[in-house]
Amino acid sequence: MTDEPVIVTRGLAKSYGGAHAVRGLNLSVGRHRITAFLGRNGAGKSTTIKMLLGLVRPTAGSGTVLGKEITDAVQNREMRRRVAYVAEDKSLYGYMTVAQTIAFARSFYSDWRIAMEKKLLLDSELPANRKVRSLSKGMRTKLALLLAFARRPDLLILDEPSEGLDPVGIEYLLRMLTSCSAEGVSVFFSSHQIAEVERVADHICILEKGCLLVDASVDQLRESYRRVDMVFPAPPPEHEFRISGVERIKTAGNQMSVFASSNAEAVVERAHDLSAVSIEVAPVGLRDVFLETVREN
Amino acid sequence: MLWYKAWLETRSRFLTSLATLIIFCSLFVHHALYISCLNTFPCPEEVRHSEWRSEFHFLLFVNQQYVVIMWILAVVLLGMGGLVREKALGTSSLTLTLPVSRVRLMLVRAAMGVFQAIVLGVLPWLAVLVISLRANVPISIKQVGSYALLLVGGGLIYFAMAVLVSSLVPGEYTAPALAFGFVLLAAMLFDNWLRRFNVWRLVTGDLSIDRNTFLLSAHLPWLGILASLSVAGVFLLASILLIETRDF
Amino acid sequence: MFFKLNPTTGHPLYLQLMQQIRHAVETGALQDGSQLPGIRTLAEELVVSPNTIAKAYSELEHEGLLELRQGSGAFVCVKRRTRFLTDSVHVARRRIRDLIERLRDEGLLDEEIRRAFEAELLFPAEIVRKR
Repeated sequence: MTDEPVIVTRGLAKSYGGAHAVRGLNLSVGRHRITAFLGRNGAGKSTTIKMLLGLVRPTAGSGTVLGKEITDAVQNREMRRRVAYVAEDKSLYGYMTVAQTIAFARSFYSDWRIAMEKKLLLDSELPANRKVRSLSKGMRTKLALLLAFARRPDLLILDEPSEGLDPVGIEYLLRMLTSCSAEGVSVFFSSHQIAEVERVADHICILEKGCLLVDASVDQLRESYRRVDMVFPAPPPEHEFRISGVERIKTAGNQMSVFASSNAEAVVERAHDLSAVSIEVAPVGLRDVFLETVREN
Repeated sequence: MLWYKAWLETRSRFLTSLATLIIFCSLFVHHALYISCLNTFPCPEEVRHSEWRSEFHFLLFVNQQYVVIMWILAVVLLGMGGLVREKALGTSSLTLTLPVSRVRLMLVRAAMGVFQAIVLGVLPWLAVLVISLRANVPISIKQVGSYALLLVGGGLIYFAMAVLVSSLVPGEYTAPALAFGFVLLAAMLFDNWLRRFNVWRLVTGDLSIDRNTFLLSAHLPWLGILASLSVAGVFLLASILLIETRDF
Repeated sequence: MFFKLNPTTGHPLYLQLMQQIRHAVETGALQDGSQLPGIRTLAEELVVSPNTIAKAYSELEHEGLLELRQGSGAFVCVKRRTRFLTDSVHVARRRIRDLIERLRDEGLLDEEIRRAFEAELLFPAEIVRKR
């Protein structure tokens, strides 16, 4: 059993004319983990995923997925045999029925699990003989996800999978993700839903304007990101707090709030040295990590 | 199951065209024969003299003119679709992430279209054959075969052109409009300056017809057919190259 | 077995799970020899990554509280050392209870007391000692 990363990119970049969608991306997604890919709209998440799957040719850089070069058409095709992908728009052929769609997808992959397919079809209550174009958005999403979850690939890539799902559907999706992960499938998904990512992800990558800003395990984020709120006897000097790990400093009169990605203890020590009247250290949720990180940029 | 997908995508266009062509040819030939046979089948002996025979062959020639128009219409429509259209519809990310090469996707679509084009060229003439035999009219299988061969051999270039257009233009209506535009343009240009190389004249049998007997010459324009098929091949190659290099 | 993991606190989920399992052992909800749910089952039930469950189980095995048997699952094994820890936790809780009562008498609100505890816990004790 190899522990090589499932996805590696080296300086991967894509520009459309003058616009840089992705710049010098160095990604390393670990095997047997659930990795979440966060970023604002237009940050370059979908473009990155498309480059990995051979839909878009990179302007610069290279990458491998499951050890296969993404820019080599033959290798990329080989790799796609063992990768399940659900696009953001949950693409399906409108003219096929549910049953035809499943039979179609099944014919391409040797890792298809028929028992799983039958179970998922039953659970989803999808009408087998209805054409896809007459399905509701929620049903279409369920079908698109079924095509991925009925397989046991080496890697599962999902682009905004919870979009279009109600809370029950989202629970179902997360349960399927954990189930897949428990069977050894590596999961790489992009999402806006911070709450779900916080529960289920082992590792987070935050992309902004085509650059990777954060690449850390969720536990690491939880243990090291802190907000330190302090009150001083007099307006405090900001420059004293520009130490390593400090991302952002806000001052208002005698109060100062420091957002640190690490080294919070040093901030507290500095506050003590400057005779702070009150020091409060609080953990930072993923939403705030995300917002501060992208705002900073 | 790529063939199945290609079939499902073109099924209604194909079956509608096939029905139209067969029904038209059948009605046209049947009606014309019925009248000239003095409203009785089988055709009475006294009607089938030599003059009548050339009238009959003229009938077949006219039939081909109509068939050509409908057939070209049909194959241009069959050439529509493909990955560029799929991108506009939002299904390309499913098709392109299947573990198959883009070349294969293109070839299956093209092959399905070619098979359908052949069927569309052969079956209507088969219907004409059957009707003529039923009427006890001496119809030459060689003539019927030649018309079908000219149509398909010379005409696949139109299908390939449509495939090329659909690999460039994603619009549901702009693509076929452009393709039909090219058909007309080619017909007009070649008619004025390069009459000898006008594919339209090849497929309608105009190049090979004897104006006295209205029989197709025994020597079919093989070189012309080969040239037309070669250009069709070039169009197809260009389509493949376009799809291979494009970002989706 | 009722576990509840809160992703929004500053504590990694695997640490929360470890604490809750330890608490269950202390209070007797989990007896010596009882079996914990499988990694996959618990991950699906709590809707968290199986790696979280795996890490918690593995750390507890290190501490000696759990025994992971290939193929069968995770079993509680309360050794004498952990029983000793359990007792000292009981003592500690009694002391904390007394302290909290005193702080309340002094007029502090529960919210303030909680924040004070969290603040002290979130950085190493050395800093405090330096003062």
